[in-house]
Amino acid sequence: MDPTTNHKPTVLMVEDEEDTASLLKFLLERASYEVVHAKDGRQARELVDTLSPPDIILLDVMLPFFTGLQVLAYIRNNTAWETIPIVMLTADGSEHDITRALENGANDYILKPFNPRELTSRLKRFLSPSA
Amino acid sequence: MLVLHDSDLTLRLGSLAILCIYSAVILLLSGILLLRFIRLAKERRRRNVTAIWRPLLAQCVVEVPETLPQLKPRDHLVFLYLWNHCYESIRGDARAQLNELARRTKSDQFAKQLLHARRLRRRLLAIVTLGHLQERSIWNELVAMLRADNAFLSLVAAKALLTIDAQAAVPLLIPVISRRADWSPLKVVAMFSAVGADIAADTIAKAACQASPEIGSRLIRHLAATQSQQGLPPLRALLREDSPSDDILAACLFLFGECSDPRDAATVRAHLSHPTWYVRLQAALALGKMGVEEDEPLLITLLDDEHWWVRHRAAEALSNLPWMTAERMTRLCGSLATIESQEHLLPFIAQSNVRKAGSVPTASPRLQTS
Repeated sequence: MDPTTNHKPTVLMVEDEEDTASLLKFLLERASYEVVHAKDGRQARELVDTLSPPDIILLDVMLPFFTGLQVLAYIRNNTAWETIPIVMLTADGSEHDITRALENGANDYILKPFNPRELTSRLKRFLSPSA
Repeated sequence: MLVLHDSDLTLRLGSLAILCIYSAVILLLSGILLLRFIRLAKERRRRNVTAIWRPLLAQCVVEVPETLPQLKPRDHLVFLYLWNHCYESIRGDARAQLNELARRTKSDQFAKQLLHARRLRRRLLAIVTLGHLQERSIWNELVAMLRADNAFLSLVAAKALLTIDAQAAVPLLIPVISRRADWSPLKVVAMFSAVGADIAADTIAKAACQASPEIGSRLIRHLAATQSQQGLPPLRALLREDSPSDDILAACLFLFGECSDPRDAATVRAHLSHPTWYVRLQAALALGKMGVEEDEPLLITLLDDEHWWVRHRAAEALSNLPWMTAERMTRLCGSLATIESQEHLLPFIAQSNVRKAGSVPTASPRLQTS
């Protein structure tokens, strides 16, 4: 679980915007995470049904087909995935989305535009043994 | 023979016409194919530039590599779109690396050339880029763009000015904001939010004081979105020293209610008997948010107002008072002299009872609009 050991923690990144996804993927891989990318809400739900649970989920709020909040509810209703930490990615100023996400089982949120260092530190917090 | 001659001529003309039509069709098809080819070539080039620079931009967020691939002039436009997107996706010191990348690829110079492009899209891209790069050399050009007929262009220029130097831009922007009816107050608030809520509130309030009642009242109503109280002092001064229009007055009372600063309570109370109904309405609503127990009789008096909406909002304001309960409202309703005033309280009593029973989630009556 610790990114410093040989085992690479897996992040399921759900982000539809290609440029942002590319940036996030680079930052996460650089921080020694293995990244699985879902491009929309539908693909994310398919991965929840087929994939073994990742170590952490980075979930955008605004997604095609199913919103991030709908995907969040779907994940929390899946017994194998219900305890996986979920960090929401949301636009600055969308307090309503943040509140709803936290009430519905998200563990943390990161505002867009994001600070690259803050992003990796926040994720690392959930993967450390003390988390 | 003559008939043969005629038919020969007709045949010739017909053949010529057919030839012309065929030529035109072939020409048209060639044109379409050429346009399609150009478009595909552009798309291919865009994909190639994206494939090279997207991962490089991600890398530059952490560290700019020593050697960079050559950026051809025709690819620079695509690069600028990618660069701006990446820049706006991140915050913090990582932006400095992207600025370094832009300087090394001479994107600042390219953007300066684009500033005079005929296409609006390119000019907008140039302004945004140079704003991000805090390019002071284009300051005067941006100031001139504030007067542009195109609202979008002028707003983007204003935003760039704020990014380059907020302190210097604010005095320039106050008169522009107060003049431009085509600038959405929401966009103005969003534009200033990047430089800080207090600067935003103070600037917008000062602009509202100078603006026509129509623009001023719109600006004041959106001041609450800044979530700063810095906009209140200029407006208090305006109410004290001038005799503002009813629209401005109503907007100020709305804002006083939203901010709920006790210093404004006396002003709000003073307008409960204003001759204009929508000023009384806003005063009643504001008092519902900031009032104390002594204000309850004032709101009860408004339940007998001649205007339906004022009575309704007074009832809503009463129901919003922190100490108000369903029982207290029921008692109050029973003590009212007229049926009209009682009727306005009944839905709020019902809402209060429903909330108390906990059968539905709390829905603030403040969300209702008149």
